[in-house]
Amino acid sequence: MAATMITRNSTVSSRQNDGQPYAPYALEAASLVMRYNKSGAPALDNFNLQVKKGEFFGLLGPNGAGKTTAISILSDRFPADSGSVCILGDDYTRQRNRIKQKLGLVPQEIALYDNLSAHENLAFFCKLYGFSGTALQDRIQQGLAFAGLTDHAARLVHTFSGGMKRRLNLAAGLLHDPQILFLDEPTVGIDTQSRHLIHEQLTRLNHGGMTILYTTHYMEEAQELCSRIGIMDSGTIIKLGTPDELLGRSNHASLENLFLSLTGHQLRDT
Amino acid sequence: MRKILTAAAKELLLLRRDRTGLLILFIMPALLVIVITLVQENVMELTGQKKLQVLFLDMDDGALGSSVRRLLEEANIETVVLDNAQYNDAHLRKTIAAGNYQVGIVIPAGASAEFYNSAARLLQTDAPSTTLRQTAPQPISVFFDPGVMPGFRSGVKAQLSLMLRTISMGAKIENLARKFNSTLDSLGLPQEYAQLSSGELAKRLSHPILALKERQTGTGAQNMPEYNPVQQNVPAWAIFGMFFTAIPIAGTILQERKSGIWIRLASLPVSQLQLFTGKVLAYISVCLCQFMLVGFIGYFLFPHIGLPPFTVFQNLLGVLLIILCISFAACGFGILLGIVCSSYEQASAVGASFIVTAAALGGVMVPVYAMPEIMQHLSIVSPLNWGLNAFQDLLVRGYSIFAVADDLGRLVIFFLLTIIIAWKLSRSRI
Repeated sequence: MAATMITRNSTVSSRQNDGQPYAPYALEAASLVMRYNKSGAPALDNFNLQVKKGEFFGLLGPNGAGKTTAISILSDRFPADSGSVCILGDDYTRQRNRIKQKLGLVPQEIALYDNLSAHENLAFFCKLYGFSGTALQDRIQQGLAFAGLTDHAARLVHTFSGGMKRRLNLAAGLLHDPQILFLDEPTVGIDTQSRHLIHEQLTRLNHGGMTILYTTHYMEEAQELCSRIGIMDSGTIIKLGTPDELLGRSNHASLENLFLSLTGHQLRDT
Repeated sequence: MRKILTAAAKELLLLRRDRTGLLILFIMPALLVIVITLVQENVMELTGQKKLQVLFLDMDDGALGSSVRRLLEEANIETVVLDNAQYNDAHLRKTIAAGNYQVGIVIPAGASAEFYNSAARLLQTDAPSTTLRQTAPQPISVFFDPGVMPGFRSGVKAQLSLMLRTISMGAKIENLARKFNSTLDSLGLPQEYAQLSSGELAKRLSHPILALKERQTGTGAQNMPEYNPVQQNVPAWAIFGMFFTAIPIAGTILQERKSGIWIRLASLPVSQLQLFTGKVLAYISVCLCQFMLVGFIGYFLFPHIGLPPFTVFQNLLGVLLIILCISFAACGFGILLGIVCSSYEQASAVGASFIVTAAALGGVMVPVYAMPEIMQHLSIVSPLNWGLNAFQDLLVRGYSIFAVADDLGRLVIFFLLTIIIAWKLSRSRI
């Protein structure tokens, strides 16, 4: 990641001076309930979560546990049936645009235009964040450098490898220097080199003060990156703690063993 | 506004790189307008085979009107008779000009008396030969919808003229027989002593005493181009092409939905409505370019291939407004298609089927008045018909832009409805 891009120097007190409310948590979700159809089981069932500022929080769970639904509601993709969400002291019903300026989202899918170049993709998203002129060009260059694609800026995205697309996908979510970043399985299907680069960059961002909410199926990845982990199943968090706490309390040799003991061995085809 | 322009610029950039999309949007209507117009140039002149309905107003209530109606019925032409106590020829003219009927006939008051007097005058044996020149034909007024094809118009006029000639001939022969009988009776002379020679008699009998007079419907417009296939086909196929913008619009929305771009966009400080507006803005400019391309073909190319030029300049501002309303409707349809369909293939199939059906129904391929009655009624549900009707009223019938406000209103309402439905559905489709 370029050293100039996305370093979190702002403090709680400086944000208070900006007129924003003091919030000890970057994210608070209380009693979230979501049903996709009235007769079926809820996708989220009394989901509660508090993520502190500067935390690297991992959300783990088998397929259909409700991870993507949780991220979708937390990032305002759609509202929950009931419950409340508070991001950095603001809620979506009152300060939607203010939250969106502070929140970054990297979806599970490659959310880029195939027929636009890397530069054009970043320029488009950057402009929608309100950047223009020199600031716009700076952000684009930083984004390209972050993704390691400065030399491929003019190439159309459909010509990229899976790893290049993933890196650009991540960069596109960081263009506006968000205070909180949601990542939905950002390392699926990429080579070791790209995964390593992404891990390195995310760790650096987190050390810079950025709060990260991370979902993944890779246990070792969560153990390596996350300061705290929540294991989800059936729409609710069933275990919560630091990797050491989780392993220490349960006497399991690995996070994967603990995960399997909590969620079972049966296949989860959704 | 900046975000809307950003979204619009992105749409145009994507379209520029979509060669298939460009082919559909620009080459298809350009080719269609050339080919169809060349084909119809011949066919339109010859056809008009639909059962004709004539609006009939008899201000005379005499024998002449009855004879005309009887002959129309014998020729399998349906007459719709206006009550002369309630309506006058101004009403008939207005109805025809509005395109509700293609032909109208007015028998003026006193026509029967004048007609039979004329017939009798021709047989006055003591009158000098100058009487023939003094007996002016009695005019029967006929009105045509300015939107009907020339071949059709000529055919109807020829048929009506023949009917009038038949009626005239009948009256003449009747008078002639009466005259001869009375003359022969009074003189008690054999036939060979009759004063009128057979040559003179034939000459007199062939002289017209009724004439068909085509009159303008009087919309107030000056210098309107005569109706021809070019005036029908250029706007028609331009509209057809404009509605095809719906498919690339739906394509970009489906790409955004499938790739997760919509999920990203939903997390950005930009509303769905701003993004939709950007798409609409981009594709309105595309529609304008399409119309210009097809219009230029009509104006510059057609005279070189033996067709009359497309004339649009009498109300350029009105044309622009119609294009704008059609573009809105096409964009709204495209956005709705992108939201409702689940794949590009589905959107292409549904979109193309809708557009081709609506085009056929709306009079793009065959003029509405040439369709069976049930299809004529159904044509009013086609958005392409609203656009084409507005163009016809403006460019052929010579109406002002205010007169086509109803069609433009329908197009705008169609756009608003599609956008509202799409917007309501969009959050559940992310």
